[in-house]
Amino acid sequence: MTIATLRRTLLVLLISVLGAAATPIRAQPPGAQASPAPVLLSRQLAARAHVVVGDVVTLATDPTGAAGRSFRVVGIYEPTPDPMRFTAQRLEARLHLPDLIDLTADPRDAGSTDKVDSINVRLVNPMESDRFTAELRARMPGLDAGSTSRPRENDPFQVLDRFHLAISLVTVAGSTAFLLALMIIRAEERRETVGAMRLLGISRRSLLVEVAIEGLLVAAVGALFGALLAYGAESLVNRIFQSRYDTTLVFVRVTRSIALRSFLLAVPLGVAAGIAASWTLLRRTILSLVGR
Amino acid sequence: MTSAWLAFRTVQRYRARTALAAIGVAIIGALLFDMLLLSRGLVASFADLLDRSGYDIRVVNSEGVSVSRTPIPHASTVSAAIERLPEVASVARIRLEPATVAGGDGSDLDVTVIGSTRAGGRIAWTVVEGSDLPDGSASTEPCPVLVGRNLANALHLQPGATLQLRADVPGQQSALPPIPCRIAGIANSLFASANEFEVLTTMRGLREVRGGTDNDDADLVLVASAAAIDPAVTVRAIAALRPDLRVYSNDDVVDQFNRNGFAYFRQISVVLSSITVVFTFLLVATILTVSTNQRLGEIAALRALGIGRRRIAAMLLWESVLIVGLGGLAALPLGGLVAAGLDRILKQMPGVPSALHFFVFEPRALGLHALLLSATALVAALYPMWLTARLPIASTLRREVVG
Repeated sequence: MTIATLRRTLLVLLISVLGAAATPIRAQPPGAQASPAPVLLSRQLAARAHVVVGDVVTLATDPTGAAGRSFRVVGIYEPTPDPMRFTAQRLEARLHLPDLIDLTADPRDAGSTDKVDSINVRLVNPMESDRFTAELRARMPGLDAGSTSRPRENDPFQVLDRFHLAISLVTVAGSTAFLLALMIIRAEERRETVGAMRLLGISRRSLLVEVAIEGLLVAAVGALFGALLAYGAESLVNRIFQSRYDTTLVFVRVTRSIALRSFLLAVPLGVAAGIAASWTLLRRTILSLVGR
Repeated sequence: MTSAWLAFRTVQRYRARTALAAIGVAIIGALLFDMLLLSRGLVASFADLLDRSGYDIRVVNSEGVSVSRTPIPHASTVSAAIERLPEVASVARIRLEPATVAGGDGSDLDVTVIGSTRAGGRIAWTVVEGSDLPDGSASTEPCPVLVGRNLANALHLQPGATLQLRADVPGQQSALPPIPCRIAGIANSLFASANEFEVLTTMRGLREVRGGTDNDDADLVLVASAAAIDPAVTVRAIAALRPDLRVYSNDDVVDQFNRNGFAYFRQISVVLSSITVVFTFLLVATILTVSTNQRLGEIAALRALGIGRRRIAAMLLWESVLIVGLGGLAALPLGGLVAAGLDRILKQMPGVPSALHFFVFEPRALGLHALLLSATALVAALYPMWLTARLPIASTLRREVVG
């Protein structure tokens, strides 16, 4: 077992300080302290506090800034996008763990200098994660362990996925009704032409095949146009939402499989609508088609 | 013959296409209606839940963020001080602790034990079987509990039975022994979600479960304002009394929820409402235009009979109104059904209280639905109206007849 990363964000610290409208991170003249410890600030926090790389700032757990410590900003980082927290302002800082403990430890509590919120573990054999977590739980009651790679139970994004799928199905049902109405109008338009073709000896079957091929082409072109439209709108939608939430999270991605799925759904529907609409015409007698 | 009657006759003549177009509008209109219900539904439902809880103010520790807030220390002193304020009618302290109970198959089941200084009925727990917990500190019983309906169903629990509760102590390498607690009743909690198990007990019961330790902390202090006192006034009084705590009225909580937690659904509602309106416009406009093109000879004949441009244009507008109106009306019950299905899907999200709804009917949504569809009907008819208004009668008739 190796401890890969020990991560603790300073959300508590920073948000409480920022929320209290006290000076959250105070830029100090360089050289105010002999060798300030290094700190990384999130892009959002650096912008909010008007801090740049090289500045020395004070971090404190108290809104008044009491018992604060000086740190030198050695870098600005983009926080890893987290879909679970995309509405939250990412006002974060990263310190070395000893610096953080030094800053936050309670002198009255000896145990506070040896506390972390979580321990990330990389297994030699990732396939053994179930056995490892079960063993850890049995050996250390009170600790919770879980795999980071497996989807969690009751994943909200699976629920959202089902929600979006349900909306898509409603949209497809509505579009199909409209498509059928348009195909019926179109079939009516061609009533006399169809009658003339039947008089010339072209069979119902050949006419149906012709309609099916026409439907296939129209549906394929429509589906392709739809996929291209979605692809074109992708960056616009992402830009709007990324700007709204100040994140690099990707909200919309038109993948090949999604485009293929739309295509596979749209084409049979288009063909079926074309055949269904034409069938109302083709089942009539030739004389009624030519108005006799 | 009025233009409305002419439109009605046309619609009657082309029944199949009209019916299909109206069905299309009904389905897309149902989606539009649902998105309008969604646009404020969760916030309205959340506000309703908070109001039904019987308390209009929530006091929490100012330290920490919402997900990992530090409990309020010396909570009994804090709540006593708050209760003495003239603006306050009553106060309840709430403490949450994770615990486990033995499941039916012998495995441990995670539950949340809620310790309260008030009876279940006073903190939005509705007893459905058995009896409520005693109010305040009137009970001498060590650990009476109200069991949430989900847990009772999962373990087939009945009032009078014993529930073995074992508190989890985060960060500790020891497990406390299970404590036998008498089930006083089965209850529905207003804020319970479908996939969580909850147990309500007295503060003394919680202390027993925690192995007799009592640090007098509370995660939350609920406050009910005195009659005729504005909650904002009570908030100010409590904030002045204890500036180290954060005090929120129900309106503040809903406002924060509206700005943060609900943003996604509000935006998806705006996006999908816009798309459905554009979609309806495009499709109705296309159907009307194609249909008008097909009937150019008929329209030219009507014009030749002396029916004016305005009446023909009005006829097309009426056709649009009939298609969109019929579809829009059918969209309401259909939208209700679809909303119920979508609501069921979204309520599968973890932590969402069963009593919370994403789609909530409001008269405002109905008005907006009617307004948007009316505007769509009008705009969709504009191009066909313009087409017929500039139709040359003689050449159209000659072309149609010769053709």
